[in-house]
Amino acid sequence: MTGCGAEVSGTQRAYRPPVEAAETADPPVAADVHAALAAIVPIVRRIVAARVPDRSTADDLVQETLVRVLAAADRIEPGMLEPYAIVTARNVVASLWREQDRHRRNEHRMVDLLAPESPDADLLAREEQSAVAQALARLSDRERATLLAHEVSGQDTRSLAAELGSTAGAVAAQLNRARARLRVEYLLASERVEPPTDRCRPVLLALSGGDRRRQREVDAARHLLECDLCARLSQPLLQRAATREDRIRIAIGSDGDIVAARQAARELASRLGFGRTDLTLIATAVSEVARNIVRFAGSGEVVVELLDHPRRGVQVVARDTGPGISDVEQALTDGYSTYSGLGLGLPGARRLMDEFAVASEVGQGTTATMTKWCGER
Amino acid sequence: MTSGPKLVSILRQGSYLIASIHTALDDTQMDRFREDLIEQIGRHRSRGVVIDVAALDVLDSFGTRTLRTIGEVARLRGALTVVVGIQPDVALAMVALGMSTGAIATALDLEEGLEYLNGRLAGGAVSRPAGRVPPP
Ligand SMILES: [Zn+2]
Repeated sequence: MTGCGAEVSGTQRAYRPPVEAAETADPPVAADVHAALAAIVPIVRRIVAARVPDRSTADDLVQETLVRVLAAADRIEPGMLEPYAIVTARNVVASLWREQDRHRRNEHRMVDLLAPESPDADLLAREEQSAVAQALARLSDRERATLLAHEVSGQDTRSLAAELGSTAGAVAAQLNRARARLRVEYLLASERVEPPTDRCRPVLLALSGGDRRRQREVDAARHLLECDLCARLSQPLLQRAATREDRIRIAIGSDGDIVAARQAARELASRLGFGRTDLTLIATAVSEVARNIVRFAGSGEVVVELLDHPRRGVQVVARDTGPGISDVEQALTDGYSTYSGLGLGLPGARRLMDEFAVASEVGQGTTATMTKWCGER
Repeated sequence: MTSGPKLVSILRQGSYLIASIHTALDDTQMDRFREDLIEQIGRHRSRGVVIDVAALDVLDSFGTRTLRTIGEVARLRGALTVVVGIQPDVALAMVALGMSTGAIATALDLEEGLEYLNGRLAGGAVSRPAGRVPPP
């Protein structure tokens, strides 16, 4: 049918995510950021209300969360506003539970790693230096030497490459990895925590480096749903992750998120040049799997990503930490799914997409992965 | 009376109700629309209901089921329902999904929908606006 167009790169360039508009818009905060903020209010409210019973305290925390998100809006990766808000809300609640002052100072210091803006307190400066020193100490000798030569001595990648018998590209990649690791180690050092699981560091590293493939390999998204520490630490990391526009994540927690997910999927997929019919099939399939999350798991996420390999297409991953499905085969059988039963929507969604797979573990959750390829059928 | 500002509108026209969905509705809004419409069918003793879904870019299993429920409840209350304006892509997705509008009639647009109602209800016990008789 309508194969995907070849003019994709042009379309991609033309695409400007709403959040980015905030950088150039005047007045400083664009209307679409306000709209995006308004859209995340319900989920922020839900997260806070679930943790803070007192109504007026909860209201304050919701306000604080929104202010923080607003302040960071122009640094947040497009499409990441909602996960950022979720993480922020959790942090705001957590900070209520811990020593508030110290935590707030840490938040400030996270804004700029190399030029801390905490002018008044000597103590802060010393803490800061000690955290950076600890973080640097956890790098390999080579990572540390290269990073310092570049960041501190200002040596460029080409001359570094000549010195190291490498290429400028390889040195740049190595620098990126070193920076990513430094950010993670710095966060851990300044929070004075050791990660509770051996999955934490790989997840944080993948997030810090903005490496999507690695994030998939370590299933970073699921870990963030499960691990409080990483959910908290990932906030500054998400802020700094490299911007890529071929992926969007929608947190799913209520009816409204179903609509948001299918609209986001349609918009992203349209950039590959899918025709109207395919876009409607994709949007409908996303609607079905997102509703599954709301009805049977309560919350989760839908991640939509444009694929290049093995060919161009759009992949949708719907993930939750709900009760799971004991018999996936049966859940995928037509007629089995009823509105009261598990697996609703899965058989339907499967028919709408080219590829469809479900992995589920009782008590752990369910992940549905589905793909539509360009030019199929 | 509508469920929420501008999401939907329900207009009374003689013994008919013309309900239009103006934008994508979430499940809660869809439920509210269903309740409002059914309530008004009862209150106005409507004989025919047109639901215009031309603005919807997706009719998933929940949306389709809701339309079906409205049609069935309306029938029990003595009203005939016709859904108009299903976009071709949406119709195709509904078929692929394995959903249908069930016993509810569908028509291309509002005009055809009204013609359908007029035709079906003409000659009934209640006198209705005259209309051409469409094929069943
Ligand atoms: Zn962790």
